[in-house]
Amino acid sequence: MERRHRPSTTRIGIDTGGTFTDFVIWKHGRLFNRKVLSTPQDPSLAIFEGVGEFLQTGPPVFIIHGTTVATNALLQRKGGRVALITTAGFEDILAIGRQTRRELYSLQPEERFELIPSGRRFGIRERTLASGQVERRVSRSELRKVIARIRKSGAEAVAVCLLHSYANPKNEDVVAEELARAGLLASISSRLLPEHREFERMSTTATNAYLMPVMDRYLRELDRRLGQAELRIMQSNEGYISPARARLEPIKTSLSGPAGGAVGARVLARAAGIPNIISFDMGGTSTDVSLIEGRIRRTHEARIGDFPIRLPIIDIHSVGAGGGSIAYTDRGGSLRVGPQSAGADPGPACYGKGDLPTVTDANLCLGRMDPEFFLGGRMRIHPDRSRAAVGRLARRIGKSARETALGIVAIANANMEKAIRVISIERGFDPRAFALFSFGGAGGMHAVEMAAHLGMPTIIVPRNAGVLSAFGLLMSDSVKDYTKSLMKPDSQVTLTGLDAEFRSLEEASFRDMKEDGFAAKDVVLERSLDCRYLGQSYEIDVPYRKARTAARAFLTSFHSRHQKLYSYHHDLRPVEIVNLRVKAIAVTPKIPLVKEPGQKTLDPKALIRKQPIFYGKAAAEGMVIDRSRLTPDNAIRGPALVIDPESTTFLPPGYAARVDGYSNLIIRKAGPR
Amino acid sequence: MKKFDPIELELFKNVFIAISEEMGAVLGRTALSPNIKERKDYSCSLFNDKGETLAQGSHIPVHLGAMPLSVQAALQAVTFEKGDLVILNDPYRGGTHLPDITCISPVFLGRKLSFFVANRAHHSDVGGMTPGSMPLATELFQEGLIIPPLKLYSRGRMNKDVFDLILSNVRTPDERRGDLLAQFAANEIGRARLEEALTRFGAGKVRLYSGLVQDYTEKFLRETIRTIPDGVYAFEDFLDNDGISARSIKIAVRVTIRGDEAVVDFSSSSSQTEGGVNANFAITCSAVLYVFRSLVEEDIPFNTGLMRPVEIVAPKGSIVNAEFPAACAGGNVETSQRIVDVLLGALAKAIPDRIPAASQGTMNNIAFGGYDPWRKRHFAYYETIGGGMGAGSRAAGLDSVHTHMTNSLNTPLEALENYLPIRIRRYGLRKGSGGKGLHRGGEGIIREYEFRVPAALTIMSERRRFAPYGACGGGPGAKGKNTLISRGRTKALGSKVNVKLRPGDVLRIETPGGGGYGRPKR
Repeated sequence: MERRHRPSTTRIGIDTGGTFTDFVIWKHGRLFNRKVLSTPQDPSLAIFEGVGEFLQTGPPVFIIHGTTVATNALLQRKGGRVALITTAGFEDILAIGRQTRRELYSLQPEERFELIPSGRRFGIRERTLASGQVERRVSRSELRKVIARIRKSGAEAVAVCLLHSYANPKNEDVVAEELARAGLLASISSRLLPEHREFERMSTTATNAYLMPVMDRYLRELDRRLGQAELRIMQSNEGYISPARARLEPIKTSLSGPAGGAVGARVLARAAGIPNIISFDMGGTSTDVSLIEGRIRRTHEARIGDFPIRLPIIDIHSVGAGGGSIAYTDRGGSLRVGPQSAGADPGPACYGKGDLPTVTDANLCLGRMDPEFFLGGRMRIHPDRSRAAVGRLARRIGKSARETALGIVAIANANMEKAIRVISIERGFDPRAFALFSFGGAGGMHAVEMAAHLGMPTIIVPRNAGVLSAFGLLMSDSVKDYTKSLMKPDSQVTLTGLDAEFRSLEEASFRDMKEDGFAAKDVVLERSLDCRYLGQSYEIDVPYRKARTAARAFLTSFHSRHQKLYSYHHDLRPVEIVNLRVKAIAVTPKIPLVKEPGQKTLDPKALIRKQPIFYGKAAAEGMVIDRSRLTPDNAIRGPALVIDPESTTFLPPGYAARVDGYSNLIIRKAGPR
Repeated sequence: MKKFDPIELELFKNVFIAISEEMGAVLGRTALSPNIKERKDYSCSLFNDKGETLAQGSHIPVHLGAMPLSVQAALQAVTFEKGDLVILNDPYRGGTHLPDITCISPVFLGRKLSFFVANRAHHSDVGGMTPGSMPLATELFQEGLIIPPLKLYSRGRMNKDVFDLILSNVRTPDERRGDLLAQFAANEIGRARLEEALTRFGAGKVRLYSGLVQDYTEKFLRETIRTIPDGVYAFEDFLDNDGISARSIKIAVRVTIRGDEAVVDFSSSSSQTEGGVNANFAITCSAVLYVFRSLVEEDIPFNTGLMRPVEIVAPKGSIVNAEFPAACAGGNVETSQRIVDVLLGALAKAIPDRIPAASQGTMNNIAFGGYDPWRKRHFAYYETIGGGMGAGSRAAGLDSVHTHMTNSLNTPLEALENYLPIRIRRYGLRKGSGGKGLHRGGEGIIREYEFRVPAALTIMSERRRFAPYGACGGGPGAKGKNTLISRGRTKALGSKVNVKLRPGDVLRIETPGGGGYGRPKR
């Protein structure tokens, strides 16, 4: 049995970030946080520093970890040495890609990254047809020769992707068997992603192989340091897996930390009674948004750096806009903000090193940040340098410094609003039906204005926004996804047939969950189908219900979802079922979130000072509030700044914030006084 | 450029681009046919009331210069009312070639026609002599259904008679219906967003900045042209043939650069031909604008501002400004690429370090169709194949990509084999096809199709006779090759052919490599 079932267990969520490693710890019925400087060379060092004391003595420890090992290996292109086995005649599919170039209007060839060079791409003579029929079987003697050559090539892991293996994995199974016999790490396409489209399947499989040696080394190191503690690794699909599984499928951890953030946002928003949110995480160089409609939305079409990834993954959209985004005028005289960023070094002009105006500098000029309390007063900043930097830009465009600062913020907001439109409107959701859930250091300064532009009525700024991902890790379940490619029109399937297919996936899920220590009764199953009108090539994920008719089971919801997403549907057109999916969730008891009693009166010590805050053409005297002194039921009217060590929330005039029972700030348009 | 607010300019640029991109997202996701959905062979744009482009979603360059002419043709042909959707494909009244169907919707401000949204998508069949509608024809009438500018929707209601007439003239009516509805949905989104912008910012401002974004783009291009030394630069190259006669076809250009303006003169090019490689003026415009846009290194909106500093001279009745009823299916896909090649060749004489060697210079159009006895239906399929990109002064050319005037995705072979009675037997890089040089040209592709049933095949390809040129001493890319293997016999096919295929026949296409750049090191 997993230790997290036992009430006495100490449970820890650990999120490795670029600068800090965050810990949220639950011990003896108490929840507390910790931050330790990250150790990028060996992330397990920071982890040990944070949790070492719990490992020696005391109750058993259960850890859920959000890791950046896979992400960093992808972004920095530092994976292992990989070989590929594929159908002879198709060795170059990885190199060809989809025949497109990234830049439409560039006469100079762009740089490309080759995951597996041609010398390590091997073809074997075999063929499975689209129907699943094996036209030519794998020759073991040929295969063994290829394996010998792979050994010679010094490959640390092997990707296997044969044509149409999603329809019948038999030939891949033979290859997998021989590789196992040879003791090589192998990534098998029909097991990782049994879906059609050869390039995406091959590239996902190859990327997984690329990460295997890296994850293997990391987890070995972590295991050594953590000793007896029970460890789980967060996946990009919002659920955790065992380290053994993460070693086989490291690609599933590529958005490990952000998935923790999404779970944290979902849990807090639901507790606040506002389950439909768009999460908005604005950092120094980029901003991530995702949509949660009671549940976290997932996608099968993600890309990280150079690598397309076709596995279920939380649907996060990133834009290159953040606090460090640099403002400048281009040759055409337009004011641009980002995507170039001042980063952490030299950082915004106010950090004292650089001279270029950034979004952070603009906020400082507008009085929307508290210079005394930056990072809880841990870091000294220089507002005069911000004013000088923004002033120089203002002279260039013939505007006042304040107008320029407002312009910088407006343009940054427009860039980030675009990301929200992509995640909502382009996916068929109306943002006005969602609350904006802002976390990350810089988001609170922009959230209210952005929500107003998008017509979103409510803004939520959680407490401890700085450790939201680690908190979410602690609140996550074990989740495993299963899929089977079907590719048949609805007229050719029966509900009994579908049921049998689903059951075989579900049995596989029970087996895997049992291996991880979950009983069948703890496992919740969700069936869904990827459907499309016959002839289309994009699928819609629709839930599958037990019912007597296909219409009830899935067809009706498919048509209505299609209508919602694409504004038309055809009741009579044949519907093709492309994939069956089962999502298995092993639900475990959660840490109770306790609602605290409140009081209306504001602690006088909460008011740090008053300062002018600029909004539109006018400046108004606004309160600067220490968030740590707020209690539930406190209410604040804008203009005001609410600050805590990790983040600042800007409340424009006309808006009011209320503190709810979980210490979230709930911001809405203010009613009459 | 008029006086403007640098902050508002940036905000409006964002608004216009975001709308065209959102239209593209809707069209790509809602279309039925793989050519539009998977390969993204479409473009979406916004126009002012004069039909000048404000912004275009970055999809297919060959559509870019041509779209304003569509809106202008529609304006001449119909009186727009609220809720109308005008469609057209006539190359001599706003179109490019027949498979490209353009849909235009008006945006009204009160009762005043203020803007247009439009999209253009390549349909994989619009009737005509052969499946895929890329036939080797000698007049426009043979190439498919000709649609002059007419209303598919009138005041918000579908004109069912028109719809039925169109669907009765194509081989795959269900697919066409789905694609046309998707084009309608894309325009509806664009219109709704533009109306929102008008409400939010006020019509006066939107109109002001719709002019200013064009001035903005124009300014970038003028500054870029100014960096090219003044002078006259000439270059010529050839198309293999027109698919009817074996004669090669000359495209010649003289580029005059003076200050921040350019004159691009095609007067010494061949006359229009009998076979379908004729380009109308819209296509020539697109190709020229593509080259000048690419010279600008910054990320700027693609709009009519690009046309202002460039004058194009293309004599009527020539291969680059063909007249009705010349056949023109290949003008869009093949001739446009050669126009780019000659223009780059001329500019290379002025700025050799900024201009790459020739890319594959063809789209390798493959169209086939027939009857599928297993699925009991007719099929029609069209695809293009990437090849080598020309090397540049800084790097080797990319392998196996679409270059210059197109950037459509391939169709996954696992999708193909699920829908069509064919098998792909080989799909890989054509090793050694890239031109030699200090920087190597990109490699072409080898693709082999095995047909399981009788089928009618049309190939329209180029660079089978004249190789893509190298630059600054680099070697040429390898010429392309089309081969048929039928009952054990191997037969070389020409650049442009119609072939009746028998079950078991294998078609091998080897696409050209890109030219090399600079003398190879010893």
